Amino acid sequence: MTWGLLAEFAGPAELVSAAERLRDGGYTRWDAHTPFPVHGLDAAMGIRPTRLPWLVLGAGICGCGGGLLMQWWMNAVAYPLIVSGKPFNSLPASIPVAFELTILLASLTAFGAMMVANGLPRFRHPLFASREFLRATTDAFFIAVEAADPKFDLEATEAALRALGASRVVRVEGDA
Amino acid sequence: MPPVELWRSLDDLAGDPTLRELVSREFPAHADEMLASSRRDFLKLMGASVALAGMTACRRWPSELIVPFAHRPEGYVPGSTLQYATSLDVGGAATGLLVTSYDGRPIKIEGNPSHPQSLGATDPCAQATVLQLYDPDRSQGVVQREGSGEPAPRTVEAFTTWARTHFASLDASKGAGLRVLAEPSSSLALLAIRERFARRFPGAVWVEWDPLSRDAAREGATLAFGRPLRTHLALERADVIAAFDADLLFDDPAALANARAWARRRRAPDDVMNRLWAVEAGYSLTGGSADHRIAVPSVLVPVVLGRVAAVLARAGALPGLPPETRAALERFSSHSFDDPRIAALARDLAGAPGRSAVVVGPRQPAAAHALAHLLNHGLANAGVTVWYSEDPEPARPSHREAIARLAGDLNAGVVDTVVVLGGNPAYDAPRDLDLAGKLSHVKTAIRLGLYDDETSEVCDWHVPQAHYLESWGDARGWDGTAGIVQPLIRPLYDGMSAIELIALVADGKTTPGYDLVRATWQARLPSPDFERAWRRIVHDGVAEGTRFVAVAPELSPGAAAPIAALADAELPRAGTYELTFSRSASLHDGRYANLGWLAELPDPVTKLTWDNAALLHPEDAKALGVKRNGDRVAIEADGRELTVPAFLLPGQAKGSIGLDLGWGRRRAGRVGDAVGVDAYALRSSDSLWRAEARVARRPGTDALASTQDHHIVDTLGKREQAIRAEELVRTGTLEEFLENRAFARERVEIPPDAPLWTPHAYPGHKWGLAIDLTACTGCHACTIACQAENNIPVVGPAEVRRGREMHWIRVDRYFAGDPAAPRLAFQPMACHHCETAPCEQVCPVAATVHDHEGLNVMVYNRCVGTRYCSNNCPYKVRRFNWFNNHKHATAVEMMVMNPEVTVRSRGVMEKCTYCLQRIEAVKIAAKNEARAIRDGEIVPACAQVCPTEAIVFGDLNDPESRVRAAHDDPRCYGVLEEVNTKPRTRYLARLTNPARGEA
Amino acid sequence: MAVATLERPSRDNTSSDPARRAPLVLAGNDYASVTEKVCRIVEVRKPPRAWTLAFTIAASFTGILGLMVLYLITTGVGVWGLNKPVSWGFDITNFVFWVGIGHAGTLISAILYLFRQQWRTGINRFAEAMTIFAVICALLFPGIHVGRIWFEYWIAPLPNQMSMWPNFRSPLLWDFFAVGTYFTVSLVFWYMGLIPDIATIRDRATTKARRIAYGLLAMGWRGSNRHWHRYERAYLLLAALATPLVLSVHSVVSFDFATSMLPGWHATIFPPYFVAGAIFGGFAMVLMLAVPCRQWFGVKDVITPRHLENMCKIVLATGMMVGYAYAIEFFIAWYSGNPVEGFVFINRAFGPYAWAYWTMVFCNVATPQVFWSRRARSNPWVIFAVAVFVNIGMWFERFVIIVTTLSRDFLPSSWNSYTPTWVEVLTLMGSFGLFFTLFLLFLRFLPMIAMAEVKAIMPAPHGEAHR
Repeated sequence: MTWGLLAEFAGPAELVSAAERLRDGGYTRWDAHTPFPVHGLDAAMGIRPTRLPWLVLGAGICGCGGGLLMQWWMNAVAYPLIVSGKPFNSLPASIPVAFELTILLASLTAFGAMMVANGLPRFRHPLFASREFLRATTDAFFIAVEAADPKFDLEATEAALRALGASRVVRVEGDA
Repeated sequence: MPPVELWRSLDDLAGDPTLRELVSREFPAHADEMLASSRRDFLKLMGASVALAGMTACRRWPSELIVPFAHRPEGYVPGSTLQYATSLDVGGAATGLLVTSYDGRPIKIEGNPSHPQSLGATDPCAQATVLQLYDPDRSQGVVQREGSGEPAPRTVEAFTTWARTHFASLDASKGAGLRVLAEPSSSLALLAIRERFARRFPGAVWVEWDPLSRDAAREGATLAFGRPLRTHLALERADVIAAFDADLLFDDPAALANARAWARRRRAPDDVMNRLWAVEAGYSLTGGSADHRIAVPSVLVPVVLGRVAAVLARAGALPGLPPETRAALERFSSHSFDDPRIAALARDLAGAPGRSAVVVGPRQPAAAHALAHLLNHGLANAGVTVWYSEDPEPARPSHREAIARLAGDLNAGVVDTVVVLGGNPAYDAPRDLDLAGKLSHVKTAIRLGLYDDETSEVCDWHVPQAHYLESWGDARGWDGTAGIVQPLIRPLYDGMSAIELIALVADGKTTPGYDLVRATWQARLPSPDFERAWRRIVHDGVAEGTRFVAVAPELSPGAAAPIAALADAELPRAGTYELTFSRSASLHDGRYANLGWLAELPDPVTKLTWDNAALLHPEDAKALGVKRNGDRVAIEADGRELTVPAFLLPGQAKGSIGLDLGWGRRRAGRVGDAVGVDAYALRSSDSLWRAEARVARRPGTDALASTQDHHIVDTLGKREQAIRAEELVRTGTLEEFLENRAFARERVEIPPDAPLWTPHAYPGHKWGLAIDLTACTGCHACTIACQAENNIPVVGPAEVRRGREMHWIRVDRYFAGDPAAPRLAFQPMACHHCETAPCEQVCPVAATVHDHEGLNVMVYNRCVGTRYCSNNCPYKVRRFNWFNNHKHATAVEMMVMNPEVTVRSRGVMEKCTYCLQRIEAVKIAAKNEARAIRDGEIVPACAQVCPTEAIVFGDLNDPESRVRAAHDDPRCYGVLEEVNTKPRTRYLARLTNPARGEA
Repeated sequence: MAVATLERPSRDNTSSDPARRAPLVLAGNDYASVTEKVCRIVEVRKPPRAWTLAFTIAASFTGILGLMVLYLITTGVGVWGLNKPVSWGFDITNFVFWVGIGHAGTLISAILYLFRQQWRTGINRFAEAMTIFAVICALLFPGIHVGRIWFEYWIAPLPNQMSMWPNFRSPLLWDFFAVGTYFTVSLVFWYMGLIPDIATIRDRATTKARRIAYGLLAMGWRGSNRHWHRYERAYLLLAALATPLVLSVHSVVSFDFATSMLPGWHATIFPPYFVAGAIFGGFAMVLMLAVPCRQWFGVKDVITPRHLENMCKIVLATGMMVGYAYAIEFFIAWYSGNPVEGFVFINRAFGPYAWAYWTMVFCNVATPQVFWSRRARSNPWVIFAVAVFVNIGMWFERFVIIVTTLSRDFLPSSWNSYTPTWVEVLTLMGSFGLFFTLFLLFLRFLPMIAMAEVKAIMPAPHGEAHR
């Protein structure tokens, strides 16, 4: 069955304006595909800012706290040893490791959360089936509207996309 | 008391069916693996063998009784150590020893406190003899060399049967062609057998040779008193000691006793110190410790002595001086050589009548000794600080004459049989006599020796000598104190002791050494209660009342002429140098050449290992075109030439070159062959100690293996060294000390230290160590003691050159003060167990940490080997195992290991532990006896052997402990305290006592 | 001005003329041509001869490295020239050197990204790659220099039968965490940047094998803008996190020395001084790689003279920071009034290792001065030469710091010198082999230029700007 429609546009500017109107048209299950992040497209598509930063902040705090806790427990509680006559637990010595763990956890979270939220890795997708789409990562700018969209109607939507200035519109077969 | 059985060696046991069967019953799976003495199983198997030894011994060997020192063997606990008393006879003077035996393996040698010639101390060589016992290169069987044929192995039985018939054949001629060439021995048993020997072979001649002969002193006494008296010192009574080319603190048969007595008067307990003058060519340890050192060529030493005597005579400080002697002394006043300090020395001596001692060394001519006797009598020292005893063998010709006569006889062909007892004459006899060549031509030459060495090579028969730790005997100290030599283990190889061999010759039958010694003492001890007395002597290692009796001899006038002749001494002609020979501090006369411990033991003064070198005054070096240490020079003396690496030694007398004997062995063994150069090659019978030599620079430079001042230290660094030496080894005069007792602490400014946190408390024990630099003579006994106690590996010359020697306690040597006449300063350096140890905080795996008693413990098993700790150690006392240093050690060599101490693997750091194993042993003992640990009960290996008691260990929390007192002493300071390491090892500043106005 | 503009050859975009914005991509490239240029390198059947030659050499040195490490592990650290007191030598020198090299990459990516320095896009990809490979080389040395490699994992806080834990007071442990984190984060940062470009290659792939291989690496990226949205945010966050990380790593490495108590090491100036040095050396290495790469792979339009010039300016600036550090160290040694400290520095300049010290000063302080001239900054040959000098100089800086201090510390009795053995020399050369092997493989199989990012900063094809 049809998964949706794939419309190609000449360039970033065309894509952005098309996206705005598509958004105003009330479409919800659609996406733009570009070889590089196009400025203004997010707004044009009405994408809400991601909550990623909060996750990263949380991870950072865990890294820092966990780091301090680990060092305190290992050197002062689990197996205290007299080292250079120093106190069993001393904050100054713990700072470098705590700092590194903060960065480590935060970074891994930033990457991991991004992938998960994007539903990646995903190796099978109807779009991969279309030949035109191959250029999406080189120099082509696409808008893909899914059949699952409540407002989707094969002819009407296709016409709408052409009206938006799509240089061409193709049907994408297969099921998501 | 049940007898302690002796067994022979592991291999015997392993080969022995009884054991095989028993082991396989015990560990059926591993029988073979166990019997293959692989390193890991070795100790296990030794353990097993202890139990079996009895049985095997009963079956195959006669049971003999030896008596443990302190413990009693009933309830004998395998794994516990026992100590046995024995004696080591070197050059006819014995040192009393205590040998620690672990499951029947001797593993450590220490001094016998009840022996007056040891007082608990030992020198490095004596300690290393335990390594000799297990030396795999020792000869392991009788060898016969027919003509110049290949050496053929023979059984001991074969030899004894041959010997019986051979010596029987000599009865006809009453042994006219028989010569015995023996090393000096103080054995009473040997004397007894020699009587029987003389009765059987009246025609035979007993020749005694010692390459380090001290006969000049004998002859000197003969000149002075008309008979060869033996001279003894009582330094505990001396305020002024004048040593003329005499190393009485190190190279002396009574060195240990001398050093102890000297040091007791050195610490200024009652604000009084003795004063030591040294007149010598090269740096001896005595010279190093002296308050004044006059460096003159050896040939001028008697002149200095004569001038001193002359000054004293004129001052009337020598009453009752016969006129001809007085005239003789006058001749010195006109001698060209003079030195302002001579007058000062004379004044000093005159000021201390009856409290001074004039000592002349064995390298000086007889007349010089006579002159010393003269002075000691004149100054009323005789009988007080210096005393005399009859010589045990007054009739004996001097070594030099004896060996020369033997050479003559060999030439004349009147000799058909020579028995060489120990020693190594082919190597160390004066080369002009060519004894090696002559021995090879004599009809029958029999050699008893520990090694199949240079001498055995030229003899028809080589008989392996039993090591003194394997055989029975007895020996007398320099002061006459007799002790028993008792074996700690069955001979590892078919060995015979000297007395056993001579007994075979004298009696025509083999008698066990035990019976020979016992018989000798039976004759001397009270018959009714012999058994008790005998056991006591064997137990104590000392026979009461055997000390020589002091005699009060009269001066005979005969000495005047030879003394006068001394005044004719002149410096070597221009273009030539004076070459003086000296004993190697580590290899002695060369007998210890194959002992890695000693070969790698740095020379106290030059810090050279694995090598000897020609010691040159820097100016002489410049004149010769020698730029840096190791540059080769050719020394030509008495028509023989030798190429030697040179070593620039500040403080060496100008015009005089020093060279150590005992190196350059050809057949020492795998360790000792071709190490250093053979100085004997330049030695002639008429110039045993001093020769006139031509010296020339030769192309090439040898890389000397030195543990300090590697040649790369540039001028910039040298200047800095001199500056720092003053801060590290803080030295003050007695005067300064009395003015300001805390002078040492004020030498370096310690920034005030306010801790950022509350320091850890050490409520229980708080171990600490103190080293008194005033007493330290730099003899390195501590280094070897530590090596033996802690299984420290020998790494070899190449690694030492790289700076990878492993000694846990090194003795830093600095030249301080005026470069023209530098002061020697020694500083033993081991882990300081800093309370804020810099090494600990940098270890990523916490492999080195503090324990609850404040020890900086190194956890070998945890170490991954980042070496960061060593980098961060300001004292650089940590040692890293760059390789697996025990890879090639054989099972026999492993027997010397101390099972109480981990053998470190490759890639781990190691360092001084304050002998943790000894601390724990005492703690356990004290706990079992439910008592507190007594101060002085725990003695680290280094402190135990120190002749001058310079090292003190103990509990700093014990207000009564000696170490506490030492740390509270105003002289006490910590090295590098300014970097806030809070070291637990602290030093007592070095005090010197220069004569007023002569500092 | 205008005249000058006219006279300037067209391929030169190194103008500092505020009136006119120099393009960062030359010769009127468009999206397709950029893609084509970059991807061709990866797609051509036969690599350039230069590449094959370079790879053969590099690979053989890597082989030598393998043998040396094997020899070391089987025999013991003694095969190196180390001794007491110098128990660190080439090993840690190389470690610090390589970690330093590893700084430019993440720095260019992260800091320049935060500062919106668009010229970074041309060079950040292989700068980052360089970081990864340099850090791999760096990690090798602490890895093999320990006495018992088989127990090295004890440094990690892993539960174990000894119930022992590492000692967190040790700077070596801080190192372990710092360099480990740095490696991980750099790797993530690099890979994340690669995903869209790998997707491009995947989509251009002509063979099944390539499609599968790059397909897996691309993780199914399809340029969805909803993805781009989170992607950019995550990338920004990573950059923000990586920036302090870069600065921290070499600071922590410098703690190995700064927190010890040895004269010449125990100095508070070390962290900033080391970081400056690292950036200095790192950029030099980027230049050293960029100059030949743009030549061989025909990407001169993307790695333009302007890129090179900017980096030259950074090298000049950091070089002078380093020079300042050298000077101030001497001043402090004198000013502190600590005689031991004083001696160490006099010994550095005039002692047995003076030759190493002056080599360092010449390479790091003198040679970069040529960059004051624009001619030098725009001449690839000069740039390459200076870059090489700086790399030599920075290696010697670490050598001087480590060896002169260890060979002359507190007690003169233990002073000694250090001479490397052939094993150490070959190991060092081998580490370069490893570095270049990895780098050449990267050039061959991964897009050496961040196409997506370059496209993002190109003027839109139809000239009209977005709203």
